[in-house]
Amino acid sequence: MNLLLIAMIAAMLIPMYQALKDDDIWQKMLALGSISSKAGIMTLFISVLRDDWMIGAVGAIILTVGNAGLMLLAHIIKRMDDL
Amino acid sequence: MNDDSYIYILTALLPLAACMVVVQVNPYHALVIRGILGAIAALVYSVFGAADVALTEALMGTMLAITLYAVAVRSSLVMRLGVLEEEKVESDGDVLKVELTVESPRDFNSLMKDFRRIFNKYYLRIEVVPFTTPQALHRALMEKEIHASCVPVLDSDAAGEAETKHYQTVTRIQRLYDIMQPEISSINTSLDYKFASGSGEDSQ
Repeated sequence: MNLLLIAMIAAMLIPMYQALKDDDIWQKMLALGSISSKAGIMTLFISVLRDDWMIGAVGAIILTVGNAGLMLLAHIIKRMDDL
Repeated sequence: MNDDSYIYILTALLPLAACMVVVQVNPYHALVIRGILGAIAALVYSVFGAADVALTEALMGTMLAITLYAVAVRSSLVMRLGVLEEEKVESDGDVLKVELTVESPRDFNSLMKDFRRIFNKYYLRIEVVPFTTPQALHRALMEKEIHASCVPVLDSDAAGEAETKHYQTVTRIQRLYDIMQPEISSINTSLDYKFASGSGEDSQ
């Protein structure tokens, strides 16, 4: 289980590197969506591992808020391109 | 679980993401990376057992702060450029059509492209504000409604070639003048700095 978590952390480094390297704002938005989803899934995984419902609830909220924030930010940036 | 070595690796992600935010130059890119930092911070807080802190970080720190900052950056990093519009009255049968068009759109568009190229280095957006008369344009510049004005100049030398038109740009902000001055030879406009007197203060 420990190795599985470390593999998940390593997978999280890929979009972080992509966000640092790529200059396109939409590529960065993709990396943000990917990382926030990965963080939510990892929190859920750890909550099942420790049998802790409190962490599981936080994981669900990270998943929801990540998506909502991504949508709001994408709308504002899209309006900036239009003008 | 007795082996908690993954917690150390997870915690190391937090300063890594923070360094990524710090090295960003473009304000919009920094905002997106701040979202990444927020997601990782919420993950680390919840793994350490601070569910309330993680919840606050996810809701306030990530979603609300990012959205509000994006609105603030978008509305402050803008240069308002006043231009003249030509009022064209066309009689189409009984109907009188009044059309507002920017003079000679091709020259104007290439000038706008040059302006965008210059100001993109400073992440400034250009907002074109149309005016109908030169007096209204001048008054708007003096009353600090716009940051710069751009008007075409009638050039007597270029009578033969009507396609190329010369423009005159007047700005009331020293910093904008300093940005445009080194590039002025490559674009089709002359540049002027005019000090606007008045009590209102908005500096870029």
